[in-house]
Amino acid sequence: MKYFELFDLEPRLNLDTAALERKFHALSREHHPDFHTRATPEAQARALETTALLNDAYRTLRDAARRTEYLVRSHGLEIDSSRAPASMLMEVFEINEGLDELRAARRSGSAADVLLEKAGAIRGRIADKRRTHDEALSRASERWDALIGADASEEERRDHLRTLAEIVAQSSYIRNLERELDEEAPR
Amino acid sequence: MPNIVGIDLGTTHSLIATVSQGVPRVIEDAAGRAIVPSVIHFGRDGAVHVGEDARDRMLEDSGRTISSIKRFMGRGLADVREDLSFLPFEASEESENIIRIDVFGREYTPPQLSALILQELKRMAEAALGEDVRNAVITVPAYLNDAQRQATKDAGRIAGLDVLRIVNEPTAASLAYGLQEQKQGTIAVYDFGGGTFDISLLKLREGIFEVLTTSGDTHLGGDDIDQALMRMVREETGRDLDTRALPHVGAACRRAKEALSESESVRLEIPEVGYVRTLERDAFEAMIAPIVERTLLPCRQALKDAGIEPGGVDEVVMVGGSTRIPIVRSRVRELFGRAPHTELDPDKVVALGAAVQADILAGSRRDTLLLDVTPLSLGIETMGGVVSKIIPRNSTIPASASESFTTYVDGQTNVKIHVLQGERELVGDCRSLAEFDLRGIPPMPAGLPRIEVRFLIDADGILNVSARELRTEKFASIEVKPTYGLTDAQVESMILESFEHAEADIELRLAIEARNEGRQILEASAKSLGSEEYDELTAEEKQRIEEGIARLRSTMESDDHQAIRDAIEANEKATHRLAELRMNAAVRRALKNKRVREIQ
Repeated sequence: MKYFELFDLEPRLNLDTAALERKFHALSREHHPDFHTRATPEAQARALETTALLNDAYRTLRDAARRTEYLVRSHGLEIDSSRAPASMLMEVFEINEGLDELRAARRSGSAADVLLEKAGAIRGRIADKRRTHDEALSRASERWDALIGADASEEERRDHLRTLAEIVAQSSYIRNLERELDEEAPR
Repeated sequence: MPNIVGIDLGTTHSLIATVSQGVPRVIEDAAGRAIVPSVIHFGRDGAVHVGEDARDRMLEDSGRTISSIKRFMGRGLADVREDLSFLPFEASEESENIIRIDVFGREYTPPQLSALILQELKRMAEAALGEDVRNAVITVPAYLNDAQRQATKDAGRIAGLDVLRIVNEPTAASLAYGLQEQKQGTIAVYDFGGGTFDISLLKLREGIFEVLTTSGDTHLGGDDIDQALMRMVREETGRDLDTRALPHVGAACRRAKEALSESESVRLEIPEVGYVRTLERDAFEAMIAPIVERTLLPCRQALKDAGIEPGGVDEVVMVGGSTRIPIVRSRVRELFGRAPHTELDPDKVVALGAAVQADILAGSRRDTLLLDVTPLSLGIETMGGVVSKIIPRNSTIPASASESFTTYVDGQTNVKIHVLQGERELVGDCRSLAEFDLRGIPPMPAGLPRIEVRFLIDADGILNVSARELRTEKFASIEVKPTYGLTDAQVESMILESFEHAEADIELRLAIEARNEGRQILEASAKSLGSEEYDELTAEEKQRIEEGIARLRSTMESDDHQAIRDAIEANEKATHRLAELRMNAAVRRALKNKRVREIQ
């Protein structure tokens, strides 16, 4: 949880990103190697390490998906994004089928507008999936923050972290689908 | 802190700049020239010329001239085979992942050749500033990989410079425009140079420039436009252009391209190939439209990556000579929906920005900070030849990641890690960066050691790796084999070599000077041997003079300046009386003439 600590933050999932940025800039002004060129080699190395950590932390915390993944992983939970999560098996099956059709159509040299239409249909499906997923993430994030604020039991938090892990796995699976489609039919 | 200079080490030309009294300015040579062509000429007498001198010799002596060396930096033979065909020299047989160019029997790596250009810039700055220049910031195209950055740093070290920072050219350019005066905004830097194209998007907040994304094409530049024109010439003359004609055609095409930025039509005349035609700007623009279009692709990609609409960009900064071309400006204006900044000379803006970054490092500007990104994802090879990404592209640098490794065999004491750069999934599609050999792992049953490896990309965009075994807290030693680069030991030996050659170069120059003087003396001696006064000398004196001349003549062949000097001195002694006699005779003649005139 050192990323949250670095910014003096409680490990909440809903963050004020504007405030996070201001804090990031203030800390950068303090630690960036550019301002320590006349320091001892040891102090320069420290500035480099601190700034690297600061940048890693900011990159992770400013993005909702990365932030959640970081939270889950720092509690020692694994995220398996290689398999489709059980909860979205059916839709994923259909999307994959669509991608296969698109590939076949491309190989057989179908007209561009046919390909465009097929790709458009799949893109719509993935976007739907993305939307429902984002809503689920936002709900689960609020629940986590509530658990932090309340005197929730260790068990309760752990349970919810598992739910979050599942959502993160879904997110990266959707991202893979998006990437696959982009490779097949660049926008 | 002593002076820190900013250097734009470019494909076609290079500049050096510094900040004085808070204002960045490019440094000029004695003749008032700031732009140093990145051209090296190896003279027949062993002298090496860099810059304007070398470019002047390029046309008639192209066989001894190297240009565009930047294209070879940090690259392997397979990457640059085509570029190599434009060089008058061959790569030696050992070249594979480091090019070694055979220049009349001496091998040069690209960093050594770039170092020659850097040394010239260093000399220029030292002459202008009147003090030693040892610290520098050097710019590189934003899209360069680790090996290309490292090669640039190596070049600096070989040239005797302490390279305090490698800065991306487009980010440097944004500093040159002083945009930090504004409180906030989004900036696009469109950098279309001789050999490369870069686009960067930056967010500005209270003096902090944060690069959001960078994208580009390392093989797209003004050279491609020249080549399009050269193809037209080839097609219209209907003949292949040989190596003698090529430089003339190239120079004429470049001039025509430049002229078309000012006028609506140009007369393209190349007597060397019997070619002449009038080229209208419209026709030229139609010809190069596909090339300009290729620059817009990375622009759209960068906007998409940053999640910004083209209209959301507040300032567009133009960098690189190719942005003088009107169609380039108009296409950029169309894309972003606003007029780009073109107030500063696009050839100088990068060097000016590098000087500002140097000023920041010198501690003179606490208000401005540049947060740059790594242009390529960093990954490691995993089972099955798949690349696992550990630092994504567009991450603010310095950036780091830690990964755990273990052993697969009982008692295994070393582990190999293959590090790559690129966006693709498979090892074969990414750029191999280095192989790290972790050694000194305490022998334990397989799977038990936990070696934590820390990958850190520093503010120069260059990777540093450290490792330790967590159970025993022992630091494992790491041996690095850069795939496309020089090892530290190789760079060290090149630095030494450059000192030795610097000495050899001085020796050579002294020899040339001594020979010139010797030649004058021989000419003068030849005259005096036929004079009346020579006949007045004794036989012994005459013999000494003849011996002296013979000795001087024979030492003239050698490179030993001391031997030449000694012979000159001996010659002077031997001819001392003769010189006296001739001097007296000359005085007598002068007096006689005077008297005659006075009488009249």
